[in-house]
Amino acid sequence: MDREALALEMRGLREQVTGITDTAVAAADGLLIAADTADSIDPEGLAALAAAGLGLARRTAQATARGTLRQTVTYGSHGCAAFYAVGDTALMVVLGDEGMDVDRLHRASGPALDRIGSILTHQNKTAEGV
Amino acid sequence: MSGYDLLTRALAACGRDGWTGVLRVSGAPGGALHLRDGLVVAAESPGAPGPETLLLRSGRVNGEQWAGLVREAGGARWPAAGLIAHGYAGAAQLTVVCVMALQDAAFAIVAGRVDGCERAVDGAEPPAPVAVGEPPARLLEDAARKLAALAALPRPVHPDRERPVPARRSDGPLTALQRALLDHADGRRTARDLAFRAGRGVYTVTVEVARMLAEGLLECPAVLTPIPVRTAPDGIRHRTPPPPPQPQTPVDLPRRRPGGFFRLRNGTPK
Repeated sequence: MDREALALEMRGLREQVTGITDTAVAAADGLLIAADTADSIDPEGLAALAAAGLGLARRTAQATARGTLRQTVTYGSHGCAAFYAVGDTALMVVLGDEGMDVDRLHRASGPALDRIGSILTHQNKTAEGV
Repeated sequence: MSGYDLLTRALAACGRDGWTGVLRVSGAPGGALHLRDGLVVAAESPGAPGPETLLLRSGRVNGEQWAGLVREAGGARWPAAGLIAHGYAGAAQLTVVCVMALQDAAFAIVAGRVDGCERAVDGAEPPAPVAVGEPPARLLEDAARKLAALAALPRPVHPDRERPVPARRSDGPLTALQRALLDHADGRRTARDLAFRAGRGVYTVTVEVARMLAEGLLECPAVLTPIPVRTAPDGIRHRTPPPPPQPQTPVDLPRRRPGGFFRLRNGTPK
């Protein structure tokens, strides 16, 4: 896996969308891959929560015939936490403060998710090839 | 044409036309200016804390109380009457908060990059409007004056650029804002991020960060800390999709027989 490229994508997203405070990428089962988080946040726990949250949301979408899951967003009085699926192998977490424009985040994260997916898939191919 | 000129012209035209609606400013951080009869009555920007953030982060009202006020106000984004009725803030204080937030958002938009401006008419009442609107020219001149004042400081700072860390213990007494900034500056937060965290205006915080950098209370690390990236030992597995739902077959549940427990406890009716 191109670690540098993954780190660049994560930092790039934080700089592109005003109000992003932390980002993390994890495998679909909740195993942390990369974290750009403040010391106050436990990235391993966050990755596990995101995997569970996305799993629940995916089942909910299926059980209620809402189609393919896009993302989940938890809104709080001090900001929000967005969980995105990266293909069917991984997930991305984005935390933002009250000022973050969530629509703008969704627009910016689409292309970033595709690129992160390619970076991670490349790792899989390399691993299989070894 | 520079972004600032673009904004000045668009806003001046709104003022001349006595326009009512929203002027959306694209860029970074960008934002929206709400006008009524050509005067700016509210401004929002991801670059500056709004009145709600200022009240919530200052601890004047907590998240649950706020949710209650919004419910009472029928879902209004700015429950001003409830804030006053419950004694969380006085009418004059709310006016000051709204005016400060409006000017601060205009400052954040002007300090950032302006890509374009677009008029939009939406029927919704602007959030936290001020009673007497600001003339567009005065609002932008005020923002530009603040930006110039910031640039003239010995250690100028941009709201969205520097990510300072505490440098040394201070010898002298610190103000509440300085203490808050030292607590929250972790090398990841810009002056804008610190303003949201501390619940203070972005201009106020940016000026204070500049002063604290000049005084040596804060410093900017030369390089950003690298993001730790680990590799899963056996690569990343694909998610196993859940098994397709089984077709539901009717199950014969045991039928309740009348009588039973009730009759046992209370006897048979006579």
